[in-house]
Amino acid sequence: MSSLNGAPLDTHAPGHDADNSVTRDGFRITTRKLPILKAGPIEEMNQKLGIAPPEMIFGDNLARIEHTSSGWSISFTALDALDRVDKTGDSMLKVSYSKEWQQNRQKQFEDIKEVVKPFDWSYSTDFKGTTAGTPDFQPTETPIPLALLKRPDPILFFDDVMLYEDELADNGIAMLSCKIRVMPARLLLLSRFFMRLDDVVFRIRDTRVFVEFATGEVIREYCAREEKYEVVRKALAGTKEDVLAIMRDPNRLTDYLPVVEKSLAKVVLK
Amino acid sequence: MSIGGSDLDKAIQQLRSCRPIPENQVRELCYKARELLIEEGNVVGVDAPVTICGDIHGQFHDLMELFRVGGDVPDTNYLFMGDFVDRGFYSLESFLLLLCLKVRYPDRITLIRGNHESRQITTVYGFYDECLRKYGSANVWRYCCEVFDYLALGALVTGAATSLSPTDGPLAENTNLDALPSQDEEIEIETLNAAGEIMYRYARNSDSQSSNTSQPNSNPASSSPVQTPSRVGAAGTGATSSANGSSRNDTGAVLCVHGGLSPLIDTIDKIRLLDRKQEVPHEGAMCDLLWSDPDEIDGWGLSPRGAGFLFGADIVKCFNHKNDLSLIARAHQLVMEGFKEMFESTIVTVWSAPNYCYRCGNVAAILELGEDGSNAGYVRRSNGDQGGGGGGWVLGSNVGPNGQATNSNRRLSSVLGESLQQRSRDGPGRRYRVFEAAPQDSRGMPAKKPVADYFL
Repeated sequence: MSSLNGAPLDTHAPGHDADNSVTRDGFRITTRKLPILKAGPIEEMNQKLGIAPPEMIFGDNLARIEHTSSGWSISFTALDALDRVDKTGDSMLKVSYSKEWQQNRQKQFEDIKEVVKPFDWSYSTDFKGTTAGTPDFQPTETPIPLALLKRPDPILFFDDVMLYEDELADNGIAMLSCKIRVMPARLLLLSRFFMRLDDVVFRIRDTRVFVEFATGEVIREYCAREEKYEVVRKALAGTKEDVLAIMRDPNRLTDYLPVVEKSLAKVVLK
Repeated sequence: MSIGGSDLDKAIQQLRSCRPIPENQVRELCYKARELLIEEGNVVGVDAPVTICGDIHGQFHDLMELFRVGGDVPDTNYLFMGDFVDRGFYSLESFLLLLCLKVRYPDRITLIRGNHESRQITTVYGFYDECLRKYGSANVWRYCCEVFDYLALGALVTGAATSLSPTDGPLAENTNLDALPSQDEEIEIETLNAAGEIMYRYARNSDSQSSNTSQPNSNPASSSPVQTPSRVGAAGTGATSSANGSSRNDTGAVLCVHGGLSPLIDTIDKIRLLDRKQEVPHEGAMCDLLWSDPDEIDGWGLSPRGAGFLFGADIVKCFNHKNDLSLIARAHQLVMEGFKEMFESTIVTVWSAPNYCYRCGNVAAILELGEDGSNAGYVRRSNGDQGGGGGGWVLGSNVGPNGQATNSNRRLSSVLGESLQQRSRDGPGRRYRVFEAAPQDSRGMPAKKPVADYFL
């Protein structure tokens, strides 16, 4: 690798001064927000992952929930999430005009065949957080108690942490971010992967982690939604809404994307 | 109403304070700009000195910071490599200001087209919505898109000096004095911070290329921003064949283009022959020039996305040799450090949108090329004429200039031979000015702190 850059390459972002943290009933919640990685660390990550990281890679960012007495924790980082991206190219998407482009160029450059480093460049991940310590999550039927989360309890701690984002070479957007809110008795973390490949597909993959402090109960829900672009566009065409604005907003898109995968798991920490 | 003379100056003043000008003035301005741009070739000739800038993306306040750091128009000559609009909140003000400056000082500022200067892309990535929001109709967006179609596809900078005249700016904090080249050495690269302080400096024969590439990673102990590579042997024995003499005028031209090269384009003259006055097509040479990226590969490759080309070092070196270029400057890709030289400094990415999208935390850079003072009577070479005369063979075809079939990926280097790398021209002296985003209080930006919400 030769990124001759006259520029100085810091190997690591400065310390932990960007950490925000709060402790509540034996649970310590930490978030860290730093700039995107520089050339050196990007190259390191490239080596570790075997794929090129997204254009905007917040590799130092973090959202973590720790149970202080048991040492159990669940954390969300870009590196772990990207490790779940398909690195083989088997599930590779094609941009909408790929066919037209391929046909036109083939006449002239049949010898340029090699697809450079194929992988899932939409950075679609089914990342559900990295856990450490015991016990492990077990499948459950217990849903996250939405009613409790709809109450306007005071929010003691809130953060929104970007993990990565890629503009898919101006063919849409892929982003993974983590939101967390801590209320007096419970917390909710939402790690959301949102991907729109223009004229091809929408994906929303949500991992929610709910903690009830008093009982030490942790529920994790994973929910993947997906729909073809054209289907969503047609559905929205009937409304009077600003279609492009909705297509940028995963919150408003969820209703248009059917659930394709869902799982629930639970752990009780003592 | 017309937008000549003092009206134009008024418009510039208004736009400098980030206030849009009335719709009828935009129409007039776009009309004037089109008249001007239509006279420009697909590849605009530009004389050094010039300051080359990358993507702006509607970050108006950072564009003002760029002018503060790089000098104001018309005192400094500028060349912007496209992507003026989209993403940021002030695409309209940014683009219209640049356009006003172009109309007011046509010889002082050059604008070339980026992939975002397109109807299709601006409808998706913000500029269209912004025009609609600020004017209540799409008229202004339409006028601007018509201008986009007339923007040049590239620029050719000639007459750049091989070495920098040293700035006597103070050293930046942390700069290691011992690491800087001595006064009598020829300076190839210098990087200054926004305050004009020297961050680091490389001498021409200091083998900066190779050692610099590996050093920062392999030497994490050094936290100093100054990374001055050690010299390999005595002057003149290094990789470059040139003597360490004082003023030479053998620097080739610098091609500036938004994205990169195309397998359809082997000479700059081929760019000149394109019909550019149209929406950016989805394929073909014009598309490639605005979209392709350099990558660590041999020859040409296909982007995994299923459309678009990637090109390797051999392609760049061949193209530069054939067209008598010493450097290709391009934009298009975000780089954390603001600029990134690749392939032994035969191509550089310049990125001029600091803290991109208001959240990346990256720095931005502009690239200054000095004027070759020793070269007063210099007649501009007609680049692209060289080497292109023979077969007019197409890069990427299997047949070389001699009619011999050559091996796919390596074909170019094998056809032209290894010797060309020795004969390649010295790059121009390059001064990078690195700057950060304008202070938060200078803009009407939303607060950085996220607002708590009851998300589910």
